[in-house]
Amino acid sequence: MAPMELILELTLMPLIAFLVGMMMVLMMRRIAAKIQRRVGPPLLQPLYDIVKLHSKRTQISHGLIHDIGIIMAMGGYIAAETLLPVPGMNGIAEKGGIITLLYLMMIPSLGLALGVGQCANPNGSIGIARALTAMLAYDIPLVIVIFGVAYAAGTTNLVDIIAQQQAGGFAAWGAVEMPLLAIAGLIAMHASLGKQPFEIYIAPAEIATGPMVEMSGKYLGGLFVMQCFQLYTTSVLYVSLFLGGGTTWFDFLLKSFLVLAIPVSIAYLFPRYRTEDLLRLMWKWPVMLGLIGVAFVL
Amino acid sequence: MILTPLDELLLFSGATLLVALILGRGLAAGWMVTILYGGQLLTLIKMAALGYSDTIIHASINFEIMGQSLSWRFDALSWFFALITVASALLSSWFSCGEWERSFKQHGGNIWLYHSAMALNVFTMLILLASGDLLSLFIGWELVSWAGFLLMAMAGGVATRAAMRYITYAMAGGMAVFGGIALVYVAAGSLQYEAILTAVDQMSTTQLWMLVVMFGSGFGIKMGLLPFHLWQAPAYAETPGPGSAFLGAISSRMGLFAILLVLVKLFGIVNIDSLKIPFTLIDARDLLAWIAVFTIILPTFTAMKQNDARHLLAWHGIGQGGYMLLGVVVADAMGGAGGLLHVFNHATYQAALFMAVTAVIHRTGTSDLNKLGGLVVRMPLSFVVLLVGIIGLAGLPPMNGFVSKWLVYRSLLNEGMPLLFLAAVIGTLGTILSVYKLIHNIFLGQLRIEHEQVKEAPWSMMVPMLILAAIIFITGLFPGIPLAWVASVQEVIGLPVTDYTLGGVESVSGSLDMIWVIGVLFAGFGIGAVIFYSAGRSKRVHQLDNYAGGHFLSADVRYQYSDNFYAGLMHLIGGWYRGSFLWLEKSVTSLVDFISLVMQGLYRRANAEFYLLSTALFVIAWVVI
Amino acid sequence: MSSINQIPVIEAKRGNPLSKVFDELVRFCRSRSLFILHYCTGCGAIELPPAMTSRFDMERLGIQPMVSPRQADILLITGYVSIKTLKRVILTYEQMGSPKYVIGICSCTVNGGMYWQSYATAKKLDEYMPVDLYIAGCMPRPEAVIAGLQQLMNRIQSGEANSWEDYFRNYDYYLGNQQKLFGDNWQTPTDIITEAKHYNLMGEGTFGEHTRLLEQHQKPLEALDMRLGHNLKEPTE
Repeated sequence: MAPMELILELTLMPLIAFLVGMMMVLMMRRIAAKIQRRVGPPLLQPLYDIVKLHSKRTQISHGLIHDIGIIMAMGGYIAAETLLPVPGMNGIAEKGGIITLLYLMMIPSLGLALGVGQCANPNGSIGIARALTAMLAYDIPLVIVIFGVAYAAGTTNLVDIIAQQQAGGFAAWGAVEMPLLAIAGLIAMHASLGKQPFEIYIAPAEIATGPMVEMSGKYLGGLFVMQCFQLYTTSVLYVSLFLGGGTTWFDFLLKSFLVLAIPVSIAYLFPRYRTEDLLRLMWKWPVMLGLIGVAFVL
Repeated sequence: MILTPLDELLLFSGATLLVALILGRGLAAGWMVTILYGGQLLTLIKMAALGYSDTIIHASINFEIMGQSLSWRFDALSWFFALITVASALLSSWFSCGEWERSFKQHGGNIWLYHSAMALNVFTMLILLASGDLLSLFIGWELVSWAGFLLMAMAGGVATRAAMRYITYAMAGGMAVFGGIALVYVAAGSLQYEAILTAVDQMSTTQLWMLVVMFGSGFGIKMGLLPFHLWQAPAYAETPGPGSAFLGAISSRMGLFAILLVLVKLFGIVNIDSLKIPFTLIDARDLLAWIAVFTIILPTFTAMKQNDARHLLAWHGIGQGGYMLLGVVVADAMGGAGGLLHVFNHATYQAALFMAVTAVIHRTGTSDLNKLGGLVVRMPLSFVVLLVGIIGLAGLPPMNGFVSKWLVYRSLLNEGMPLLFLAAVIGTLGTILSVYKLIHNIFLGQLRIEHEQVKEAPWSMMVPMLILAAIIFITGLFPGIPLAWVASVQEVIGLPVTDYTLGGVESVSGSLDMIWVIGVLFAGFGIGAVIFYSAGRSKRVHQLDNYAGGHFLSADVRYQYSDNFYAGLMHLIGGWYRGSFLWLEKSVTSLVDFISLVMQGLYRRANAEFYLLSTALFVIAWVVI
Repeated sequence: MSSINQIPVIEAKRGNPLSKVFDELVRFCRSRSLFILHYCTGCGAIELPPAMTSRFDMERLGIQPMVSPRQADILLITGYVSIKTLKRVILTYEQMGSPKYVIGICSCTVNGGMYWQSYATAKKLDEYMPVDLYIAGCMPRPEAVIAGLQQLMNRIQSGEANSWEDYFRNYDYYLGNQQKLFGDNWQTPTDIITEAKHYNLMGEGTFGEHTRLLEQHQKPLEALDMRLGHNLKEPTE
């Protein structure tokens, strides 16, 4: 591949991810509003929020690590997007593969955890402790699912996994071939989004939004950007693993938005679990489904 | 007589020991010893050809005892382990020079004993690594055990008790190894590797089983494999700072070395694979893999509950050993490479972590995770080292731990072992949780008033730490450097060799190129930084300017979350910590106690008729049965 | 100082038309994205849930509730402010990031309302912090709250709502009123004076006799800078 083309892809992929991610944030808030019989925010609300937060005149920092944490939170996702193939662009997906992507997606959380740690606010620390616990909860079904898919495809290369599904048509889609894994993956994905009933680490009424408690201005703005990336990455990863990726941008985006709409629609119907209930739920049903699914694959 | 490089190395190492013994009380003893370790490293580098090819360097010394010839030689496997040993000795000895040494003496430590014990450890380890037959292996094994005991016991008090526990385990392990060697001798008629290699093919399943169990448990004890892991964490944690860095980095890997040598190279993974456990679906190799996996999970989750930084790290040291064994037992190209590479990677980050924690102890006087916090503003460089170390330990990009764990995951994936894969990932997740607790409780959060005047660690401690941090990052960026050595080790012990590149691994089923991954990651950070810094200015505020629901914070009230860090998780899994292994250990101990009491009682009687009667009864029973 | 219109509005320094467009855009975004921190004192708080939920839905105007003062743009005080509460209100206000706006709801924040004769209630909120908007009433209905918020949005968009600068530029006045109420030892963990210096928001009224009084007894509040210990004395053994 020509170097210029590669550089173009590496720039475009995070940019598209950000724009689509903002629309996903909007969709999430609109769905929440519809469920609660409200009108919901206007079309460009995510953009207004991000611009406003980045244009704050005064904001506090608790030290260099606080700053670096936010940079890592944004930067980690920007890097992760280049490992996630989209129609017509593979970026450097072939250099890493799905395990690398999965671990690269932990970098933003690690950066955030460091930044929050330096805020010297116990609400934030409790939030991070809970977020890590939640990660321990949903990553177990998630790696079972990833194992199943990668083993069935015989490769950890996302480009190949997508190509195999597209070559076989609808019948070769991961969701059709491995329905149990697809369901387990959906539950794990829902938990990884940190939305109700799994939002134990935000818990506004309990620990004052946990990690975000000391984030002002551009710090919070960075986290809003991170949320856009997070929604995009999670749903596109699911689409790539189970719904055959996208041949064109239209069906790719359609699938991504539809996939995301499922957990989001469920989320706003529920209150919040306690930490141990989340663990119990995650370690029971999706793990069971996932293991049965893997047994079929083997 | 011309000295081979191996002779030079052993002589150098012996000289180091002598200098430590004679001049160990002197002023600059630490620096002298450090320079001599540097000399050993240079000699090792002179033998660098070993790391890239399948050659052997012999020592000039040979013995003949009771018809058994003893010889010493180095191959790629020995060289790989020796490199890690000497490098970690060099850096931890460097770390101990200067200010740490002075404060150690001030606190009543015996610096002569420390330097001598370190030099002795290195010397004995090199002898073990150079062993050319099973007898010299056994001699080296015992020497290493006792040298380790010396280093562990020197702090006195709790440390001595932990060291006594260690030596009890080690002696039991030594007995098992000795029994194994006797069995091998019976079967093969010789203790030379070549003779054993041919004899293994004729061995019966029972014999092979006995050998696997004996050698496996004997060497496994040193490695801290379940269920023989209890001694390790307290023994390593209570060793004086740099000593624990050295022990944590390499000491228990001697067990892995011996397992590689005997179980993998001599017996062969294929032979072990053929040992079925009756009435079950698993064989000896699966058994080893499952032991490895439980060695990953249980100690890692025990580490999560520790409130002392050194104990937390020492428990992780046990857990990480599991990944090495797991990779080796899977024994395909990627798994073997992952397991072996993890030996190297683990040594680098474990030494760095222990050193960073020692630096914190040096400055604050405590390693209690509930009595620290916020030190990042006072010890920023130590923070960076600890951060690099924990990223490595947790196995996240961009540090080297990621590469070796990735290789292990990939091999489990390729071989289709979902449960082992899952267990390995659970271990990693548990590691992430507990290392965040480590860095948060020491360096993040609120700075205590009593630590406001703390200074960064002195440069004599900082430089080796920074060197280690650099190694961790560079071998993460270019994993091809250690993978070259690993590839020749794989060749020597008869495992398939990986197809490595400078940036990682090539494979049809998905490759890894760390140069690209890290490059993109840092580019991402760069873009993030541009976005972040192009927005408005921010103002640094005091830590007490903090949200507390409108409450006015003051310095005398702690506003920090450190104790019972994962409370929600412990609500669920807290009850699963049963201390079963402690119970097992206690019951074995009390059984031995009881038997010794009974025997004591018998002897005290000094009653001739009673002895006669019992002997007669025993003989009758023997005859009848 | 309570009359906000008397404060001279400082025009943007840049004359570049592009940057004017940019400023315009930023002001627009600020007015369309308002995060509220409810300081729910007194009875007015009960009018806010209907304003937020399905009946009146503030989110369609881009207004969201937030939890901590760091995240919020608007401090919404919904009733009488007792002296003890006022300390917290001031701390909360000072912890918010600028531009920040204060809205007083109910008559109590305007003049003490029915608590006029109470010894323990601060009567006029705008003596202690600059208030952008009062929504009078006992209590104002959600319609009135939303109408008030819309008025604030218009003021933000036109650049008039910059009373937050007044707190920096006339800090001595506000501090004096606070000291009158809380005593001379009054100090929050926040440090407005260095903040004003840091962001170049000093005015003629930033310093005065009250800030001098504050500086006499103020405990050090400098941020803990990252350092290697080169500027420290040897710790005593």
